[in-house]
Amino acid sequence: MQSSNKSEKSKGIIIFAFNTEKIDYVKIADRASILATRQLGLPITLVTDVDSDPEFEYDQVIKVENKGKNYRSYMDQGQIQWRNLDRYMAYELSPYEETILLDADYLMFDNSIGKLWQQDFDYRLMHTNRNIDGPAYSLMGELTHELIWATVILFRKTTKAKLLFDLVGRIQRNYNYYKKLYLCSGPYRNDYAFAMADRILNGYTSTAYAGIPWSMMTIDYEINSIDIKDNMFVVRNKDKAVVIPKTNLHVMSKEYLLSDNCKQLIENTK
Amino acid sequence: MNTPDQLVEQVKQATDYQINRILLKEKILEQLHMPYENGMFKLTPALLAFVSTWPTEILYLEDVYENPIEINKQVFLVKAQQHYQATMNFWHTEHAKLKQIRKV
Repeated sequence: MQSSNKSEKSKGIIIFAFNTEKIDYVKIADRASILATRQLGLPITLVTDVDSDPEFEYDQVIKVENKGKNYRSYMDQGQIQWRNLDRYMAYELSPYEETILLDADYLMFDNSIGKLWQQDFDYRLMHTNRNIDGPAYSLMGELTHELIWATVILFRKTTKAKLLFDLVGRIQRNYNYYKKLYLCSGPYRNDYAFAMADRILNGYTSTAYAGIPWSMMTIDYEINSIDIKDNMFVVRNKDKAVVIPKTNLHVMSKEYLLSDNCKQLIENTK
Repeated sequence: MNTPDQLVEQVKQATDYQINRILLKEKILEQLHMPYENGMFKLTPALLAFVSTWPTEILYLEDVYENPIEINKQVFLVKAQQHYQATMNFWHTEHAKLKQIRKV
């Protein structure tokens, strides 16, 4: 394990965004980057398609040939296309010695992630999640282990962190084998791959105690609007309103992330 | 005057105080974590009381990552009490706001 006390270490954020036929992930990444850099003041590197044209002023834009596609059910819209197959390359692609790997749909409204850098670690993963209308599922399947949310990952360039990412790559390439081994179903998910790799790397034991010690907050349904009232967020959909404190949000509704209301929210939280 | 449909819409947009309260607490649980000397501590009344009554200036405490961290009692206490106070003040203020919001 390497020490975190060397101030000369470079630190930054890396986000992967590959557009699909229906969703402009690069635009979503641009928006998430505005918030992340505002909260943490760190440079951001975007990994994206060769023909992408991001608007945010990234520290670096790494363009890669990515032909990979996977499909998942999403908010009752049937099977939609995702292109999140290269996340294991973050270790090699990150230009920073200390990196926060963020999903583009993670909106940072506070700097809580920053205080995690004050400890020594190889990597930190998000072990618990809470949906705003109740606890989220926590297992990879009915009869298997806990999943890990790959939405936010902190890592340093250490041997153990490299092993983690290499192992995720191996799991991805041999996913049919690993999903049977771990009694999972469905298509490839980064959340599952990181959970399997982390468990294997730690002697086939649970590592929840070594993760980020608080829950991620997720909005897992369609959102009509998020407004700020008295420094709190009022999240509305067609059926209900929920009031939440200004906190980091994992927003699954890509339609919302691309909406004018989301743009307004980002501007209003300066 | 509101039509029944409009009333139904308004009720749907009302918010549940109990859910809001729990979500606020989740945020507070995150804020109660304080880094100190390469360790991470979740501040609780028990932890603060324990440290304040410890008879020596240097002690070792287990942090949330199950590591023993060397603690300078006075330095830790000042930092922890300030952090705890600020977080609890924030919780109290935000909770008061929640109670003002229309609820179902």
